Amino acid sequence: MGIVLSNIIAIYRRELQSYFVSPLAYAIAGVFWFIAGLFLVMILLGPDGILPAVALIDLQGQQFGVAVPPIDVPYEFIRAFLDRMGWLLLFILPILSMGLYAEERKRGTLELLATSPVTNWAVAVGKLLGVVTFFTTLILPLMVFEAIAISSSNPPLAPTIPLLGHLGLILLASAILSLGMFISSLTDSTLLSAVFTFALVILLLFVDLIAKGIGGPIGEIVGHFSLLKHYNTLIQGIFDSSALILFSSYIFLGIFLTAQSIDALRFQRQ
Amino acid sequence: MIEVEHLSKTYGSTPAITDVTFSVEPGEIVGFLGPNGAGKTTTMRILAGYLPASRGTAKIAGFDVHENSLAVRQRIGYLPETPPLYPEMTVEGFLHFVANIKGIPAGDRAAKVNAAIKRCNLQEKRRVIIRKLSKGYRQRVGIAQAIVHDPPAIILDEPTVGLDPRQIIEVRNLIKSLAGTHTVILSTHILPEVSMTCNRVTIINRGKVVATNTPENLMTQLTGGAGYEIEVEGEAALAKQVLQNIAGVSLVESVPVNYPRDNRAYLRVLSQPGSEPGKDIATTLIRSGFSLHEMRRVSATLEDVFLQLTTEEKNLATIEESAANEGEAA
Repeated sequence: MGIVLSNIIAIYRRELQSYFVSPLAYAIAGVFWFIAGLFLVMILLGPDGILPAVALIDLQGQQFGVAVPPIDVPYEFIRAFLDRMGWLLLFILPILSMGLYAEERKRGTLELLATSPVTNWAVAVGKLLGVVTFFTTLILPLMVFEAIAISSSNPPLAPTIPLLGHLGLILLASAILSLGMFISSLTDSTLLSAVFTFALVILLLFVDLIAKGIGGPIGEIVGHFSLLKHYNTLIQGIFDSSALILFSSYIFLGIFLTAQSIDALRFQRQ
Repeated sequence: MIEVEHLSKTYGSTPAITDVTFSVEPGEIVGFLGPNGAGKTTTMRILAGYLPASRGTAKIAGFDVHENSLAVRQRIGYLPETPPLYPEMTVEGFLHFVANIKGIPAGDRAAKVNAAIKRCNLQEKRRVIIRKLSKGYRQRVGIAQAIVHDPPAIILDEPTVGLDPRQIIEVRNLIKSLAGTHTVILSTHILPEVSMTCNRVTIINRGKVVATNTPENLMTQLTGGAGYEIEVEGEAALAKQVLQNIAGVSLVESVPVNYPRDNRAYLRVLSQPGSEPGKDIATTLIRSGFSLHEMRRVSATLEDVFLQLTTEEKNLATIEESAANEGEAA
């Protein structure tokens, strides 16, 4: 057990280290932060933003002399912001996960991992932890944005909302990264891996639309697989164990399939 | 230490190796020699547990490479065809990582890494990022990662490829220094390599083992130690044809010379094991109207053995026969 843990840590550290020297990782971080910043401005100040909307409602209230119920701006902001983030992930995550195994295969280092006394599980878990850590590092600066919004909130916002929201964001990302890792383990082309992961993510995000189309009990069952639906529950600050279970299942499934595919592909390569 | 029995591997319907059998004793260095595409890499990959065999078994230290994969992986060091390196890591960092995933306890890692760095002459480059290393150094880091955890069995796939002559000598010395304490199997298509480093040679061609013996025995067994270099006046093609028909001659080939004269043929004739066709060669050539300018006996190099083994189908049969006979006698 100690050895497995030490192996996982070794794989994890190597994975993480590779992000800090990778130009691609810096490019992703830059673009991500830029777009996230744009979202912040748009959500708050844009033409359809929260602040102009609140101002408008207040104005109307004054004009007609009606008491308008106060709008919880920080809550609305966090929800809208995390919702947009969920969409942004769609594009960022396949790029993060595409190289996890495809790159190893291309460089031939998979041959080193596969002939070392490490289990495929340990490798997959280490890699996933590495990329999730990198992703978490990506969203840390965004908390500054939110801190700005929350600090001006009166009465103070319940901490569960941003906390659950970010937990949801990280879980959603982990689920997608885990499945992306599996796809990456199937090919030595990072591009193919990104394209297929993108397709899969779109499918999983829109599953509830498809489910509505199907309708009936089957539609309802299919709808439960939707990532976005469960993510939306979490970012509203509602603790929902079914969401946790769904995300964990996706994460586990991804790791399981990756370990299996590395084993299986060893049996029928070339 | 390494036992391979009736190993076969097919990719789809293409056989890569067929019925490969050989064994390596503890402490031995065995060369796996064959032309490109002979199935060397496939065999190495099966031994390392990276590919499963279609049929047959391979055992390292008594463990089946497929069924006891983890036990085998703890006992081998493996250098694949392309060294498996992370370009963004430093030499030292990479070797630490490898030592870690090979299961070396944290306290011993530094010592093992230092030993491997010293053995592979990488002291000057230990803090250099692998991306910046030349091909020769990368190959050495590849070898270092195969030996860093001091495995009892070491599998090297083309260890000297891409090195300059001085580095080749260094690597060969390094491999030789592993003998005794480690069991080494190395694949190569370079002939002098095996005669210089290996205790025994297994020659493979088109996926089949053609012969296994010591380099010296192979030479004497297969050629009877005899071949001839001949310079005749006349047409080379015709001379070749005449020589081919002599009983006891197994192979006739042209020899490149630096300053060939007009209308001269420079030929090398290899004799079949046990026969001495020298007398017949001389008389036949003269009778056929060639003037014989030079004829001298040469002892075959391993290169000739190799050529003979891998080009002459007819000859293969006799070698296989003699190998079989030998096996029965033993």
